[in-house]
Amino acid sequence: MTATWRFDAIGTGWRIDTPEPLPEDIREDVSGAIAAFDAAWSRFRGDSLVARLAPGGEAPAPPDAADMLDAYAELGRATGGAVNPLVGASLERLGYDAAYSLRAQDPVAAPADWRARLTWRDGTLRLRGRATIDVGALGKGRLVDRVAELIPGPAVVDASGDLRVRGVPQRVALEHPYDPRRAIGVVTVTDGALCASAANRRAWGDGLHHVLDARTGAPVRTVAATWALAETAMSADAAATALFFEAGPEYAHAHGVDWVRMLTDGRAEWSLGSRIERGEAELFT
Amino acid sequence: MNRSARTGAALAGVAGVIALAGCGAVTVGAPAEEEPSSGAGGSSEPSANEAGYADGTYTAEGSYQTPETIETVSVTVTLEDDVVTAVEVTGDPQARESRQYQGQFIAGIADEVVGVDIDDLAVDRVAGSSLTSGGFNEAIKRIKQDAAA
Repeated sequence: MTATWRFDAIGTGWRIDTPEPLPEDIREDVSGAIAAFDAAWSRFRGDSLVARLAPGGEAPAPPDAADMLDAYAELGRATGGAVNPLVGASLERLGYDAAYSLRAQDPVAAPADWRARLTWRDGTLRLRGRATIDVGALGKGRLVDRVAELIPGPAVVDASGDLRVRGVPQRVALEHPYDPRRAIGVVTVTDGALCASAANRRAWGDGLHHVLDARTGAPVRTVAATWALAETAMSADAAATALFFEAGPEYAHAHGVDWVRMLTDGRAEWSLGSRIERGEAELFT
Repeated sequence: MNRSARTGAALAGVAGVIALAGCGAVTVGAPAEEEPSSGAGGSSEPSANEAGYADGTYTAEGSYQTPETIETVSVTVTLEDDVVTAVEVTGDPQARESRQYQGQFIAGIADEVVGVDIDDLAVDRVAGSSLTSGGFNEAIKRIKQDAAA
């Protein structure tokens, strides 16, 4: 890898490594894909589709709607409702809002009947009643996949926690959630995706962070950090979210996802298939 | 259940939660009643330092509701020179039944993960929590300033 392109988008740092610098037309394609995704799904801008739909209404479904919301439906089933795409108001309630006020009020649960309120049939995204759509459980992974598809040849697309690798072996340290100087393990990814999620990644107060249990609207307390390895970044991102809940290991198993997670009591759990035996994963336990 | 994880944790990771604590049954900014753990320099008085975090032992307790139960957990953190030298978590936050049920999908469990210094590892990149968005970090900075005022 000799060429690195760094930029900020969707509220996070991106880094794309390729053997040669990316030509301008591909950079424009990448920027355009990210802008389109942000315009559809950002909770943090007033002119986005999800902001315009918040009072209720309908609109032509953006290209990623069906794949992402189908995955949400499965995540919701697997986790008994802990993952829910109408969790946006719960996040806003805790202060994780468009203004980043970070002032928490009492938690509110996301609407448990979200499947009745939100539909995405026949190319139409329809929301009945007021709610804020939040695709944070897997949206960034989806966008990383989209961006990776636009880049020909070997490449590493790294959106600060969501990583998609093609043809370039990457040794990746799994950062200790309580000590950024240390790693709890190392994995090697050659073709595929690794997504990391940490409760302290976006934390703003007494146990307040961005991974909520939609059933209560309160932040998850038992899991500190998760890492998931899958073919696509969306699949890895979804599993990394599911692993914050008790059903996560079963969800990961059902989707062929290998994973590591660290609990808030200091324990680590993992299921890495044969990666340790093959020398593609190591845990410092 | 009482578990102790001894790690050389950086202040930013754990103590940020304590320093910013705003609600709940939390002891904020003051050492717990017990003596600081051994190795704190032999002084029973917390010593101030540049960053404003005093050495000592800090305890925070919290309770939260799961769909099934109300769980409580107590976290005790020992700070020495802005470094967390010990973390002790009391309480078993997950129901035993679900743990056994999920056990068949969990290949390995370690009671304690100390980790390895990233500088000692040859890696291409790091996946974790230290990198996050500019807007978010700005907001955190603002809150810390508000908290210090």
